[in-house]
Amino acid sequence: MSIVQIQGEEYMVEYDPASHTLTLRGTVRLQNSDEYAPITELLQTAHDAASAAGQLTLDFRQLQFLNSSGISMISKFVINGRKQNRVPLRVLGSQEIYWQQKSLANLQKLWPKVVIEIL
Amino acid sequence: MRSQPATYGHWEQLDGMPSLGRYTMDLDARHLTQYWRRCSLSSNFWSRYMALWIPTPPAPGHLRRDAMEHILSYLLNELFENCAKFSGGPFQRIAYAAWVHEERMVFELTNHVQPAAQAPFAALIEEMLTGDLDELYFQRLEASAESNAPGSGLGYLTLMKDYGIRFGFRFSAITNASIAVGVQAHVALKEW
Repeated sequence: MSIVQIQGEEYMVEYDPASHTLTLRGTVRLQNSDEYAPITELLQTAHDAASAAGQLTLDFRQLQFLNSSGISMISKFVINGRKQNRVPLRVLGSQEIYWQQKSLANLQKLWPKVVIEIL
Repeated sequence: MRSQPATYGHWEQLDGMPSLGRYTMDLDARHLTQYWRRCSLSSNFWSRYMALWIPTPPAPGHLRRDAMEHILSYLLNELFENCAKFSGGPFQRIAYAAWVHEERMVFELTNHVQPAAQAPFAALIEEMLTGDLDELYFQRLEASAESNAPGSGLGYLTLMKDYGIRFGFRFSAITNASIAVGVQAHVALKEW
């Protein structure tokens, strides 16, 4: 399986099945959960494919902005991951991006097994 | 129908009070819904404009300009998005106003809703202003994962819990069919 991309006007989502990494870049401020559905589906695909590999990495280091609908979408994905408890999650953030310093730790409170690395 | 406005939280009458700067802009909620990116564009413009009030380097213990720009962009985008999502009834005008003071900036967004929308929003506001923010935030996320419903109030809860922003709200009846809803966000210039 090759790299899958979702290209928006101000963002890019990229899933690399070889490294089990899903990367979000740019500004993701979509209107509602329907608009987030393609990203949610790609997250689920990546999660299912990672069950054998042992880990899924979410790379947010170039994600400048995510609105509250997007934070809610990622949080629900983490909650569902916790319920299934099959794939450990690793989240990469950047200390240059203010919201990540302030809010990424919330994901670990939803599921203490989530590993957060702010680089 | 004109009755006394109902206020919640940290609401201040700021018009006519001295400030270092005052800015306003009028928008139409339908135009934000038509091109959703207008919410993000408006918030990015005002966040960059307002952050220029922050000196470089900042005063000791105060937010850096880039941090302030980031906070304001997140805050204003949430407020513009809410105006776009929840405006209803005959009036679609959105009023943006901002004031700069020595140690804080205040942003006020006003939109209009149908009268039936007031009670549920007021109940949510009371819950957010009196409850434990951490507990409410995680409770709402868990509930929204169960029901697949949108996590209402998550934007406000994040802004209060993670950024220390204080909010005030005001409901004013304009006609029998329209309520003006004002939301004030008080952003301290000191690092939280």
